[in-house]
Amino acid sequence: MGIANFKGGIHPDYRKELTASLAINSLPIPGRVVIPLQQHIGAPCEVLVQVGDTVKVGQKIGESKGFVSAPVHASISGKVTAIGPYNHPLGRPVEAVTIESDGIDSWAGDLKPPGDLDSLSADELRALIREAGIVGLGGATFPAHVKLAPPADKPIDLVIINGAECEPYLTADHRLMLEKPEEIVFGLKVMMKILGASSGVIGIEDNKPDALRVMRQAVEGEANIRVAALHTKYPQGAEKMLIYAIARRKVPSGGLPMDVGVVNHNVGTAVAIAGAVKEGKPLIERVVTVTGEGVARPANLLIRIGTLVSDVLKACGGLKEETRKLIIGGPMMGLAQITDDIPVIKGTSGILALTDPDVDLFESRPCIKCGKCVAACPINLVPTFIAQAYEHGMLERAEKLHAADCIECGCCAYICPSRIPLTQLIRLAKAEILEKRRKK
Amino acid sequence: MLDQELQLTLSPSPHLRSPITVNLAMRDVFIALLPITLVSIFLYKWNAVFLILVCLATAAITELLFRKVLKKKATLADGSAMVTGLLVALCFGPGTAWWTAMLATFIGIGLAKELMGGLGWNRFNPALFGRVAVILIVPIFQYFTAIFAPLKPYLGGIDLVTQATPLAMLKQGTLETGIGQLLTWHHGGALGETSALALLIGGAYLIYKKHISWHIPIAIIGTVFVYGAIAEGSITLGLAHVLTGGVLLGALFMATDWVTSPITPKGKIIFGIAIGILLMSFRVLLGPTEGMAFSILIMNAFVPWLDRLTKRPKFGEVPVRKAPAVSQGAKPAVGKSN
Repeated sequence: MGIANFKGGIHPDYRKELTASLAINSLPIPGRVVIPLQQHIGAPCEVLVQVGDTVKVGQKIGESKGFVSAPVHASISGKVTAIGPYNHPLGRPVEAVTIESDGIDSWAGDLKPPGDLDSLSADELRALIREAGIVGLGGATFPAHVKLAPPADKPIDLVIINGAECEPYLTADHRLMLEKPEEIVFGLKVMMKILGASSGVIGIEDNKPDALRVMRQAVEGEANIRVAALHTKYPQGAEKMLIYAIARRKVPSGGLPMDVGVVNHNVGTAVAIAGAVKEGKPLIERVVTVTGEGVARPANLLIRIGTLVSDVLKACGGLKEETRKLIIGGPMMGLAQITDDIPVIKGTSGILALTDPDVDLFESRPCIKCGKCVAACPINLVPTFIAQAYEHGMLERAEKLHAADCIECGCCAYICPSRIPLTQLIRLAKAEILEKRRKK
Repeated sequence: MLDQELQLTLSPSPHLRSPITVNLAMRDVFIALLPITLVSIFLYKWNAVFLILVCLATAAITELLFRKVLKKKATLADGSAMVTGLLVALCFGPGTAWWTAMLATFIGIGLAKELMGGLGWNRFNPALFGRVAVILIVPIFQYFTAIFAPLKPYLGGIDLVTQATPLAMLKQGTLETGIGQLLTWHHGGALGETSALALLIGGAYLIYKKHISWHIPIAIIGTVFVYGAIAEGSITLGLAHVLTGGVLLGALFMATDWVTSPITPKGKIIFGIAIGILLMSFRVLLGPTEGMAFSILIMNAFVPWLDRLTKRPKFGEVPVRKAPAVSQGAKPAVGKSN
């Protein structure tokens, strides 16, 4: 079998060696968590508790009636001490529930498995996943049950588990594949059952030979499931690129994977789904890679949702003085922060501290039309022309050049030798175009 | 809260940048030009060295001067002026009056590049623009040669002065230089025409470093070869057309100039084929001189149009797949999708 690949992309310095060999450790339960009522794409949750209430681990504290939404649960046991806006990794403060720990970590309910995979129906499984508050853990945080409920006219025959982990620095998925291979396969089987899909593929970049080996062992004897080695290249884990590399199917522009009969989920999501189905466990913790040259002791940590980044960093020996940038997520698509007083949320795959010279502020120069951005763009755009059109106020021209199709992977800005902030300009153009379309 | 006094930078993603900057890319072009430069120096000795130094110095001074007068930031460090200077020198024969080469460099950098807005804004290849401009200007200023000639030290005789260039011989049907010699090294023609092999090594390096793609060179070389072989009725002469008269220098280093060539792969191929056809038409119908330079400059003018013409289909620009009909209540269809 050949190595699956797509056209375009870049080969950044991966720097995964900081944490790739470090086993996942559980971060001690923090004294306080701040749980935002919106940690997903979709309708925000209504709060179900009041200040002064005592809550247990796994107790639902936020719920929404909207279909595209996911409930949130208490991640520690203790007392609700505040409900109100709190800093959020996405930038704007969001309503959040603050819980002070009672130090006991007692669980709500009896956590018994709701049944086994064979006895549960697709609808029951979907309901279970929704109740567990599971969202896409790769970072997109789209509610998992929604992706698992495609309309009847979109049959799904293939489920892809994304183990590419193409973002530099991040190793959380890599460690999960090494340490929880059975859970990942179980999660995949749950998804295949819900969707009636005939085959499942776990895609892993070939810079993780150990994960490829372990996962191949785990799927031995599974007739419908295989592991695909992916060429190591960013953004191999981007939905459209991954589906093309593995199945040679092109998600139509403006379309979704289900338009080509595919649903894909991240390995972390598969593990969470396995936990929900096997143990009735809601999503109250996730694996986060804490890394970067600015972190004293990089680590892969299992962290309760709502733990403050400042507490996580303290446990990792704090930030070094040279730290110039704090990022939630990976270096290619993550969000820079001005404070570490923000909670770890369901979509937090990494906490990354960058130092000089990576944070040097570059002066951009005129485009020399070298075409490197064109060669790198996985969506086949001409990034420099879109950026130029936008800079000159020609939004319609930017739209004609398909700015709205940009997946914001960052390849063009990464590769540009003139240091033009291409992705950033196209992102602005895209936002304005989508805003304009909405108004119509 | 942050215990430490850290100054965190807030900026949108991506947060990493490739280490390859314009300066480094230009350095690689310089490295790629090294083999041909060395061969020309080996063959033409101090005459070549002198010509190259004159052009490099003129390039640097012209750029500094123009940016100073235009009140712009000095950009000498990006290396593009030096690359242009070297390319101009490679376009001339060793017997060229030094002030001609100087004038060509001055026009190339000053008019074709800096007055157009500097690197990135020029529509025409600066080195070729300068080279071609002096063809028109030099006859008028012939008497300068008499004034300036004594200023050049005697640097040894030049082998080729009395000899026609291989291209001229090809045109007259008197080409005696073998293909093997054209490929390795030979006296005759401009500095940049002395060794096909040295040019190919440099071009391969640029392609390996991903600074240029194969599209333009292959399109030009392929077109010249096919056109030449058919027009001359001989494969050997087709090959001779490729190996003479600056075709390789133009195909690998001039037509591939980032700023003045199309940005899309398809545009590059059309651009290359058009240059090849123009060049061969010039060679067949007109005189044997500077066809390559003119062909590239003419096609430079078409670049924005070619870029628009060859807009690529975006990923997934296909009609949405028709889902197979599913009967009511049945499980979704399974099996390998179409």
